[in-house]
This record gives sequence, structure tokens and C-alpha cells, in this order.
Amino acid sequence: MSILIARKVRKTYGKRSLAQEVLKGIDLEVEKGEFVGIMGASGSGKTTLLNVLCSIDRVTDGFVEINGQKLQGMKERTLAKFRRDELGFIFQDYNLLDTLTVKENILLPLSLSSIPKAAAEQRLQELVTILGITDILTKYPNEISGGQKQRTSAARALISNPSLVFADEPTGALDSKAATALLDNLAKINKAKNATIMMVTHDAVAASFCSRVLFLKDGQIYTELYKGDKSRNEFFQQILNTQSVLGGEQSEA
Amino acid sequence: MKLSQLVFKSMLKNMRHYYLYFFALIFSVTLFFSFVTLQYNESVIEATKASGTAASGFEAASYMLYFIVLFFVLYANHLFIKRRSKEIGLYQLVGMTKGLVTRLIAFENILLFIGAVSIGIILGFLSSRLFAMILLKLLKFEAVVALSISKVAVVNTLSVFGILLAILLVQMAFMVHRTTLLSLFNASKQADERVKRFSVFPMIMGAIGLALIVYGYYKSTVLFSGQTKNLFLSMMIILATTIGGTYFVFRYSIAFILNLFRLRKKGHLNLTDVLALTPIMHRMKGNAKSLTLITVITAVSLAITTLSYISYYSAGSTAENSVPADYIMVDGRGESFIEALEQEGITFKEDKFRLTSAQFDMTETFSGEIVDLLQGKTLADALIIPLSDYHQLDPDLQLSKGEAIIAGYNGFQANILPIEAPHDFTLLHQEHQFPLKVKDVNDTSIIAWHITGGGFVFIVEDTLFDQLQQLNEEYAIGYTVHEQTSINLLDADDETYRLTEKLYKQLGANIISDAEGVSELNKISSLRSEVESNLNLYGTTIFTTAFLGLAFLLATGSILYFKQMSEADEEMESYKVLRKIGFTQDELTRGIMMKQLFNFGVPLLIGLLHSYFAVKSGWFLFGTEMTTPLLVTMALYIVMYIIFAALTINYYRKIIKQAL
Repeated sequence: MSILIARKVRKTYGKRSLAQEVLKGIDLEVEKGEFVGIMGASGSGKTTLLNVLCSIDRVTDGFVEINGQKLQGMKERTLAKFRRDELGFIFQDYNLLDTLTVKENILLPLSLSSIPKAAAEQRLQELVTILGITDILTKYPNEISGGQKQRTSAARALISNPSLVFADEPTGALDSKAATALLDNLAKINKAKNATIMMVTHDAVAASFCSRVLFLKDGQIYTELYKGDKSRNEFFQQILNTQSVLGGEQSEA
Repeated sequence: MKLSQLVFKSMLKNMRHYYLYFFALIFSVTLFFSFVTLQYNESVIEATKASGTAASGFEAASYMLYFIVLFFVLYANHLFIKRRSKEIGLYQLVGMTKGLVTRLIAFENILLFIGAVSIGIILGFLSSRLFAMILLKLLKFEAVVALSISKVAVVNTLSVFGILLAILLVQMAFMVHRTTLLSLFNASKQADERVKRFSVFPMIMGAIGLALIVYGYYKSTVLFSGQTKNLFLSMMIILATTIGGTYFVFRYSIAFILNLFRLRKKGHLNLTDVLALTPIMHRMKGNAKSLTLITVITAVSLAITTLSYISYYSAGSTAENSVPADYIMVDGRGESFIEALEQEGITFKEDKFRLTSAQFDMTETFSGEIVDLLQGKTLADALIIPLSDYHQLDPDLQLSKGEAIIAGYNGFQANILPIEAPHDFTLLHQEHQFPLKVKDVNDTSIIAWHITGGGFVFIVEDTLFDQLQQLNEEYAIGYTVHEQTSINLLDADDETYRLTEKLYKQLGANIISDAEGVSELNKISSLRSEVESNLNLYGTTIFTTAFLGLAFLLATGSILYFKQMSEADEEMESYKVLRKIGFTQDELTRGIMMKQLFNFGVPLLIGLLHSYFAVKSGWFLFGTEMTTPLLVTMALYIVMYIIFAALTINYYRKIIKQAL
């Protein structure tokens, strides 16, 4: 079953004469339980793609459908509610509220839902155990490390059992050890909870944790790689090769 | 690009930052200029001529106003520079010297000042007409307000704001020079250190804060009573405990109480908690000082405005307490006046009260502490009216032998030394003793203040009165006046009153004693002229205090608003996160409303409480009615605060909208 379907998605910025087309007709489907990576050079439109897919930004043309619901035509208010119920977000700079403790930050998306406290508590315990942040629940964000912050952010993204989790360069601000730990955790959750994750990254190592990687170039999907039965290392090599092809063409152009 | 071009460009680009500061300036100039213009206005001078203190009152008020404006503008400037710290840092980063940056900002400031002062003078000129009309209305003075631009006022305003500009430039230069490049970039980030854990210490301090306030309130309720030995010391203690307590409450108690509430939720916060409770908790440390200042200023200005409003509101009844009838004559000096009234065909009611004196021992009535203050002189004179004369006012009163009532016990004395009926007195005349049972105490004056000197009168049955009169003929003690004649006109119009007033003075009916020399003190005013002079005096007072109160209110309200603006800017990131996660603008706005309810509500609430206790402790020194003036003034303050809160919420709404 496809969780996400995007058809002929176009996104243009600026007024008519200065218009710049960032996305030039993207077709995309994501199956339930997939861990999809989006790669591309800077300026290739990966963050824009993520933003229109997750309803933070609107498409100029085409449509996006998540879990059978079409985003286009939804009102601002409905969209917000949709994001709250169906989507989870992990951002590069964590985006934790610094006046809330780790636990409060994680439970934030449930603050308007009707989920009983006990159930919320159970979900929280399950997540923080997988992510290994059980000990820091009462700490404030300024008291924990970057890796812990990002795991907190991941727990917050997953607490509402979203249909789809969007991660925008989640390892961008982490050192390699913390990054690997986080990605391991994401992969684990992807398997254990059959969570669907879509991750934008420019890091080949990060991408190698995915089950499928899309390559974006000049606003279009250039190619895609499936991990299949390959080991993570083989997949990593494959990604690097594709990247160098992409990069090579770029420098010729 | 020349410096001036850079200045214009940056000002145009930064309009959003400037308009706040600019409006603060314009508002200050407007207020100041209209007040000074008023001071030099012909019709205002004419109207306030009657009260000798008006001119000096205005002058004192304009100094006060200048200080309010000074602090307000300094504060606004401080916030303004802080908000622009990044820009200032950037200029230095690209290689401008501090001197050049200072000159740049000085240049901007001068431009802003010229603009604000010109606009402010125009607005002030227009609004001074309104203020003048309000003042004349308060004084019940009928005149058309003709306003001309007063040269003195313009020069005055220009020089005052010139000095202010100089001070500001010094402040600004100081701020630019003191800061390093690094700290400039961090200036708006300093708040990041605010997130701290909560421990036992604030809990204790918070409790102390509440205790201090309660103690201060308690002290204030007994300020004017026998318990107070040293009035000044007590006042100082009250001020210190309430102000100190307020600071502790803001600094510790509030965060502590909120933290208890938060801990109870065990991490399951709702959106209001996230948007209102947690930011407030963590900002309390930085905001405590300014919130205390705002609360105290609110309380003080509210109390002063209320007290002067009480005076004004009570102008009529205060006059009635000291002159209890339209016209009062003493010991038959009004006969020619009464004849003249009859000749003119003016209808009136005449009441005659025979008076005699005795003494009573105050130790019988009042508690020991007061008596200590009397230092042995415990005998007081008592003024006495026979029941048959009192029947002119109240024909239903019956007294049996040994019974009496007390009338005209009002004002200051009645409030600090209340007499509860029934109460036993012993009237004394030399060696004679007359035990009395007072079965009622009322506050309606019968005898003019000029005669009683502020004391009350006994109404006794006629045989006792005759007895005392007899004794006084043999050996006179106490009061020297033997009769008061009260004249109340019936169905009189203004014209009649004017005529009567003239007769009253011409025929010498207003003289109370034949003593030479102190001629004005020997004359009694008619009720009407007493009311007029009260209105004139208190009208000017209420006007100036209300004007200052308005200035304080607008200044504190703006400061709260400015603070919230920068808080909103700082928290934009959080709103961005929340909106991405999927909270709607409406939901966020609702949380913000709760936050503002707190931000404006708590200083207002504590300020109201403070002023309530301040007013309650001594209002009877100022007038006869507390509730209505207090409620009216409080309502006005609440409305103004609501307006500021609404403006703030509106600003937040914009920030939330922009956040995503």
C-alpha cells in the first residue's frame, strides 16, 4: 500500500519574470514501512521537495496524497491538524523547545490529543527505551548533548504513531558517532514498528541506512537505488558511485 | 555611500523596529506639550485663580511628568538599542569604528527626535484643548477654551526634550562603547541561560514574599489607629514590606507555584502550559525587577488618582460636613439678613439650635494608647443641643432621662476612633457629674465646623440641657457660642442663591465672632461657596493627578507591551516548531492569550490590591466616600490594561503568522 503518492509536483518561486522552477514535475510513491532517502547536491531541490510533501509548503502544480488524503485543497487549519495526526518531523537543528524538559518535549504533539495519559506514558517508555534516552527525561535541552537532542526530537516525531516521518538532514549537526547511533535507532524503529520514514540527506553514510535512495538533480528525480539484499557497505559504495556520476555531470555542465 | 544615505536606508528598512520607539517619543512629547500649554492658557489660569495652590501644583506636576517621560524614553531607548544589537555588531564587523557607529546612531536619533517632537507638538496642541475642556468642566467653570500656541510652552518643551536627547545620546554612546563585538551578537541570546532547575531556596523566598505582603497589608489596615506609635516609621515599614514582598513574589513565588503545578502534570502538558506557563516560569528571573517596578508604579498612581478622586467626589459632602446648611448664622447676628430675605420674598426654612457646653473624660471612651498620646489632658469639651431643638430636624426622636445621642461624628476622627452605641458617658461640669447613655451615633453634621472644630455634638433631653445652661451662666466652660441659626432656601434657583449670597455677606450674617484682626477666620462660608472652593481645589488636584496617572499608566502599559514584543520575537522559533508539528495559528493564539492574561493580569491584580490597601488605610483623610471613586478608577485602569493586552496579542498573532 502506498502511504505517499506525489504526481507531477512542480514548485516555482518568485514572480513571473523572475520565476525559478525548483521542482520540475516529480512523481513519487512511498510504500508503508519504507525508509526512503533523498539525496542531491545543494540547490537540487531536496528540502523544497520535503517541504511540499509534508505540507509545510504548497505545490505550484500537481498533487500530493498521504494515506489516501489529498493535501491540495485542504484548508490551513485542516492541514495543521493533518500534520499533527499523520506526520512526524525531525529537523537538522533539533527544534526542541528550550523551556520544556525532554519528556515534555516528546509529549508535546499529544498535548491537544485525547490519548489517555497511561497510553501516552506507555508509548513514551517504548520509544525512549529503543532510543536509549530513558535517563535524561527530566533534563532540559541545554543540559544534554546534540545526539541526545536529536534522539529526543526523533521520539517526539514518533510519539503520535504517524503514518509518515519526515527527517530533514537529521545528522547534519551531529558528529559521526552520534549520527550512526541515531540512524541505527531510526532503522531499528523502522523495522520494529513498521514506521515509514523519509529522510533528506547529503551524507552517503546516512543514506546507506535507507531501504531506497532517490537522487534529485535540478528539480527532477535523476535515479533511484534499492538496497535489496545488499549489505550496508555495498549499498554505501553504490550510493557513492551514483553520487560521483551525478557530481561529474554537474561539473561538466 | 555617504553616512547620511546609510542612515536613511537603514531607517527605511527598519521601520518595524523604529515605529515602537517613535510612537513612544511622540506620545511623550504630546503629553508633555499639552500639559505645559495648559499651564500657560488664559482661560485655565483664569479658572484656577481662585485656588492659590493650582499654579504650584501644575508646576510640581510638570516636573513629575518630566521624570516619567525621562525614564520611559530611556527605557524605550535601551530596549531599542538591544533589539538592534545585531545590526550594530554587523556594522562593526564590516569595519566601522565604534565612533562611526555611534555617530550613525546619534544621527538617526536626532532625526527621530526632530520628527517626534514636531509631530508631538502638533498633537499636543490639539489635545491640550481637550484637556483644558476637561479641566474647566471639573472646575464647573463655564468658558470657551480659546487656544493659542504658547511660545513659552514651545520653548519649554523644546529645551526639555533637547536635554533628554543629550541624555539619550550619552546612554546610547555608553551602550555602544561598553559592548564588545562578541557580546553584541549574543545580546539577544543572553536569555538562553534562563532555563534553570528549581530548588528549595526559591520555595522559602516565595513564602517569605507572600508573608511580607500580608504583613504590609495588615499594618496598613491599622495604620491610623491606636496601635501606631510612629506614623512615619509605620509607613516606611509598609512600603518596604509590600515592595520587597512584591519583588519576592515575582522573583520566586510565581515560578515556584507554577512549578508545583507543572510537576503535578508529570510531563503531560497541554498547549497552554507550553505557551504560557513554561516561558513565564523561565523568564521570571529576568522580568522580576521590571514587573515589580511596574506593579509599584501602577499601585502608587492608582492610589493617588483614587484619593484625589475621593476628594473631588466628596467635595459636596465634605462641604456639608463643615457647613451643614445653606447659610449659617451665629448668636443672632443674622436678624437683618433674615428680614432682608423676607423682604425679597425668598422662601426658606429656619432652624435654631441652642448650644451649651460640658466636658467629658476621654479615658472613658477611648483606648489606653490614644490616652497616652494626650499626656494627661484627658478632659474634652462637649457641645450640647437640647432635644426640642433637634426635633426641627428629626421630630421622631425620643429620649428619656439620662439618654442621649451623638450627631455629626464623621470624617477622620470617626474613622480612627469609632464610638459604638450604646455607650456610657459622664458629662462633667466642675464638680457636677451627669451620667449619660448614648444610644445612637450618627454622622450627620448639624453644627458648623467653625463652631465645633471638628468634634461631635450630644443631643440630650431638655431638663439636662437647662441644668447645664444654668451652670454655664454661673461659670462658663468650653464653647463660647450659644446659638446657631441654619437657613435652608426652598425652591431657589441660581439667581436667588446669588442674591442671597450677596445679602449674606453685605449684612455681616457670616461673622461668627467679634474678635478683631483675623477677619477671614471669623467669617463662615455659605454651603454653596464652600462647595465651589472645594471643587476648585480638588478639581485642579484630580486633574493633575489623573493626568500624571494617565502618563504613568501609558508608560507602564507601553513598557509591558515593548517587553512582550521582544519576547515574541525571541520565541518566534518555538512558534515555528509548533506550527510545523501541526498546531494551528488559532491554537497558538489561544495559548498566547493565557500568557498575556498572566503578563498583564498579575501586575495589574497585585497593583490593584496594593492600591486598595493603600487607599483603605487613609481614604477618610480625603473625603467621605471610598467605594465609588475606587471602583471607577480601578475600572479605568483595567480597561487600559485590556487595551494594551489586546495590542500585545495582536502583535503575537502577527509573529505566529509569520513563523512558518
